[in-house]
Amino acid sequence: MIDNLLNIGLMHYLVLSFLLFLIGLVGVLVSRNLLRIVMSLFILSVSIVINFIAFGYYCDNSLDNANIISLFVILISAIQTIIALVILYKIYLANEFLDAEKTKDKEI
Amino acid sequence: MTVPDVLAFYVLAVLILVSASMVILAPRMYLSVVSLFFLVIFSSFLYFGLNASYIAIFQFLLCGLCLFLYIFLLLKKIGRLNLRLKLVSPFKLVFRTFFVFIFGVLTYLFFVEEFSNSLFDVFSFVSEKSSDVIDFATHIFPLHLVLILVVISAIVIRIFLLSYQNSEAISEDSKQKEGKND
Repeated sequence: MIDNLLNIGLMHYLVLSFLLFLIGLVGVLVSRNLLRIVMSLFILSVSIVINFIAFGYYCDNSLDNANIISLFVILISAIQTIIALVILYKIYLANEFLDAEKTKDKEI
Repeated sequence: MTVPDVLAFYVLAVLILVSASMVILAPRMYLSVVSLFFLVIFSSFLYFGLNASYIAIFQFLLCGLCLFLYIFLLLKKIGRLNLRLKLVSPFKLVFRTFFVFIFGVLTYLFFVEEFSNSLFDVFSFVSEKSSDVIDFATHIFPLHLVLILVVISAIVIRIFLLSYQNSEAISEDSKQKEGKND
C-alpha cells in the first residue's frame, strides 16, 4: 500500500485527472453563475490535458504526440472560453444578470 | 522516483484540487477567478514534472496571463468583480452531486470489472515498446489552420455583433418616428 503511494506512476495522474474532472462536472451542474460554469468547463479541459501528458510521459516515444494533442486541446479550450465570454457579455448587456436559473426562463 | 519528486506530486495534486474546488465554492467572483489563475499555474508546474515544458509555458502564457486578464477586465468593465456567488437550490445541489457521485462510482466499477482481469489489460501498451517516432516540428503544421479558424470566427462574430447593433439602432429609429407621428 505504502509502496503504491510512493511509486508515482500513470495511475496516480489518472486518479488526479479523474478527480479534477469530477470537480469540474460538479461545478457545471451546481453553479448558478454563467461565468463560473464556463470556468468549470475550463477545469474539465485541464483534467483532459493532464491525462494526455501523463500518457505521453509514461508511453514510449509518445511525449511529442501528447504535446501536440495537448497544445490543440489548450488552444481550443481557450478559444471556447473567450467565445463563451463574448456571448455572456451580450447576455449581460441584454438582461443585466448572469444567472443561469433566470436566463433559462427568459426568451433570448 | 526520488522523495522530492513524490512530495512535489502530492503537494501539486492537493493544490490543484483545492484551487479547482475554490473556483466552484468561492463566495465572491474575484476569488473564483484568482483560484482559476492558481489552478493554471499549479497545473503548469505539474506539466514541468512530466517533461512537457513547452505545454506548461504555452498554457501559462495563453490561459494564465491572457485569459485571466481578459476575464478580469471583462468583470471590471461590467462591475461584477465583487459579485456574491450562489449555488443552485439545496435539493438540486444534493441531487446533482449525487448524480456525479454515481457517475464516478460507475466509472470506477467499469474499469475494475472490465480491465482488471488477467486476460486483457487496458494499459498494457504503456509497457510495450513502440517503434513510432514522431517529430514534433513536422506535426505542428496544422496550427496555422487553427489560427486561420480563430481569425475567421472572430470576423464572423464581429460582423454578427455589428449587424445586431445596426438592427437595434434601426428599430429604435423607427420607434422614435412612430412616436413623432402619433
